[in-house]
Amino acid sequence: MAAGVAAWLPFARAAAIGWMPVATRPMPVPPREKKKSQDQGLLVLNVSGQKFQTWSNTLERYPDTLLGSTERDFFFHEETNEYFFDRDPDIFRHILNFYRTGKLHYPRQECIAAYDEELSFFGIIPEIIGDCCYEEYKDRRRENQERLQDDEDDEKEDVAPLNMTFREYMWRAFENPHTSTTALVLYYVTGFFIAISVMANVVETVPCGTLPNRAKEISCGDRYALAFFCLDTACVMIFTVEYLLRLIAAPSRYNFMKSVMSIIDVVAIMPYYIGLVMTDNDQVSGAFVTLRVFRVFRIFKFSRHSAGLRILGYTLKSCASELGFLLFSLTMAIIIFATVMFYAEKGSTSSKFTSIPAAFWYTIVTMTTLGYGDMVPKTIVGKIFGSICSLSGVLVIALPVPVIVSNFSRIYHQSQRAEKRRAQKKTRIAKIRASKSRGTNAYMHYKQYNGHFLTHSSLEEACKEAGQLLVGKPNIPFESHHHHLLHCLEKTTNHEFIDEQTFETNCMEVTMVNKSGSRTSSMSGSSSPHGLSSCCSRRHRRKSFSLPNSNNQELSTIQIRERPIVNSRSSLNAKPDFETVPLKSGHSYVTSSVVTLPPAASSLLTSSDNGGSSSSTCNYSQSNIVRVSAL
Amino acid sequence: MGALMVIFSLQKDQRRKRTDSVEDELELSAVRHRPEGLEQLEALTRFNRKELQILYRGFKNECPSGVVNEDTFKDIYSQFFPQGDASKYAHFLFNAFDTNKDGSVSFEDFVMGLSILLRGSVQEKLNWAFNLYDINKDGYITKEEMLDIMKAIYDMMGKCTYPLVKDDTPRQHVELFFQKMDKNKDGVVTIDEFIDCCQNDENIMRSMQLFENVI
Repeated sequence: MAAGVAAWLPFARAAAIGWMPVATRPMPVPPREKKKSQDQGLLVLNVSGQKFQTWSNTLERYPDTLLGSTERDFFFHEETNEYFFDRDPDIFRHILNFYRTGKLHYPRQECIAAYDEELSFFGIIPEIIGDCCYEEYKDRRRENQERLQDDEDDEKEDVAPLNMTFREYMWRAFENPHTSTTALVLYYVTGFFIAISVMANVVETVPCGTLPNRAKEISCGDRYALAFFCLDTACVMIFTVEYLLRLIAAPSRYNFMKSVMSIIDVVAIMPYYIGLVMTDNDQVSGAFVTLRVFRVFRIFKFSRHSAGLRILGYTLKSCASELGFLLFSLTMAIIIFATVMFYAEKGSTSSKFTSIPAAFWYTIVTMTTLGYGDMVPKTIVGKIFGSICSLSGVLVIALPVPVIVSNFSRIYHQSQRAEKRRAQKKTRIAKIRASKSRGTNAYMHYKQYNGHFLTHSSLEEACKEAGQLLVGKPNIPFESHHHHLLHCLEKTTNHEFIDEQTFETNCMEVTMVNKSGSRTSSMSGSSSPHGLSSCCSRRHRRKSFSLPNSNNQELSTIQIRERPIVNSRSSLNAKPDFETVPLKSGHSYVTSSVVTLPPAASSLLTSSDNGGSSSSTCNYSQSNIVRVSAL
Repeated sequence: MGALMVIFSLQKDQRRKRTDSVEDELELSAVRHRPEGLEQLEALTRFNRKELQILYRGFKNECPSGVVNEDTFKDIYSQFFPQGDASKYAHFLFNAFDTNKDGSVSFEDFVMGLSILLRGSVQEKLNWAFNLYDINKDGYITKEEMLDIMKAIYDMMGKCTYPLVKDDTPRQHVELFFQKMDKNKDGVVTIDEFIDCCQNDENIMRSMQLFENVI
């Protein structure tokens, strides 16, 4: 349990008063607590042991913060006459400096989340961070938010919601192939077929030897036309089926159809269908050939399989403005230089620079430093401007590229971090779950051993005279109060907490009992499995009482029936069998302990409608006496 | 080309300012609340100075901003009941503490609620409990309201209980409650019936004194 939450325990215990009127059984006695020494001015600010001193005027400069207002009175410690704060002294230094100089600085080595917390604790808004540190602060904050967003997205991905419809299940399988084996298989199969299809497209254009009656070489595609056609058909079938399944499974079909991946899918399979539909018309076949080009878009289907490709696409999208700038400035430069070159070379004979658009080709080739050499200036002026063109080309292209590269690197590193965090998260969650179960096990242990503990103390009390106060109990920590709270909840609802194992065995027994059918057979059936451990058999004994009752009986009758158990032990001590052995010797003390803890006997008798009054009063008096001595 | 670059960079700045202003708005709307002074709170509640100091420090530690919103409240309360789901009961509790219905519990609300629960007279405590059960605050506890509360309490137990919490266990408990409390059998429990009945019940009276020395 978080340490900070311990401060809220008094609140949780106070709120338990809300259960009292509905409780059918009385509450257990709270654990006794020793009066704790409390922590609690000359303007000395003691922050976790490090003492800062300042004038009170300094602090009052900013009256809407914690230190500048009356809120600091809550932290005044009378004994040492100073203000004590249980916070980080290193960060506090910066906060105090703010009061002194009026400028708030952000220390680079501090964690952004810790710093934010301190600022909000002391009531200082981050906007007043000085200009010198504000950019850094904002950047770190943005990084942190992105990381938190990533974590949330990952969590949503990993946690499989229960009761998924088949459609949701399919969609999840398609989007996150690592969630189930069928999804993974589908993933690899589609990847394989994409590769096959792309390779077939490539191979069918390779020249493949000659036909016997022709001199010209023909491509493999024409030679083995049928084989390639079959292969193409198979691939397109698979892609079509995949696309249709995705379309069916998509939560929002309209959004799915708008998305880039689905457009790529459609473009990849369309040429085939169009080719089927079209006849061998000469006019149209030209267009048909160009359609075949679109088949190469199948290679983009790989972006579902490769994270790197997706990152590249995402980078280009996020650097759209830089790319736009690059394109725009290049276009400008091309037009300028092409015009200049055209007019410079106009004079020379047999020049290739026939028009300005023709000069575009030269400018592009020169600016990108390709330099094919198919078009070269011959005049001196042309050569001068040609060299200026190639020098400026280098500059114009080199400028936006680092921005794109840094964007790519940031996004790529983010995805790497996300992968690492995903791997670490599994171990972290396992550890957290283990510590949580330790907490609930602690309560089980408390229930088992508390009876033992209290009977010892009641032994001591019985030795001393009744009326002597304050048996020396050790200082009861937070845990015992928390256990008392859980105990109150048990009493309110008249049900008990048990741990997972026993719950499971109970479920098994219940199913066995249901199979057997009648009540009597249930009692025998529940006691028959001797193979189980002693605790389980003991529970069977208890179950034989409550099982016939729990089927639609009033709660009061359950309580009445439980009366016989009470004489031997209180319900609290009834669980572990081994407890009965040492306590059987001191029988009288057992009775007193029974009544010390939830006085189950007396309460049962009183809460049932016709409790024996005499017995109840005598139990009452017993409980009263023991109560006083316990306190 | 230089002019174009300048224009381009100006455009980028504007865009950044636009996104920043949205962020800024979100930041400034983070609530920061300071409670009344120590003297006023001493007058309003039955805690002495030292106790208020201790309470405030704990409160402020968990909620540096000075107010608890419902989600934080649910988180904190759920930490005490790891086996079950305490969020529904925490919701009802939150509404009981948030007396001015502004969606957040400030330190004043918190400490005034605690003052009633820990230092109040039995009448005040019963009043508070009635207020808790009466979800729509109309002065009557109906069976549906009580059923909601009961289900929320049973939810806190979780599923690993002995005996098993069945579907109609809360309903049965509610029936029992109404049998005891609803004297004129009109299907609702009024504040007077409630207080009368509780004052006649020894158990309840005794259990009300249980948490006197929590602070």
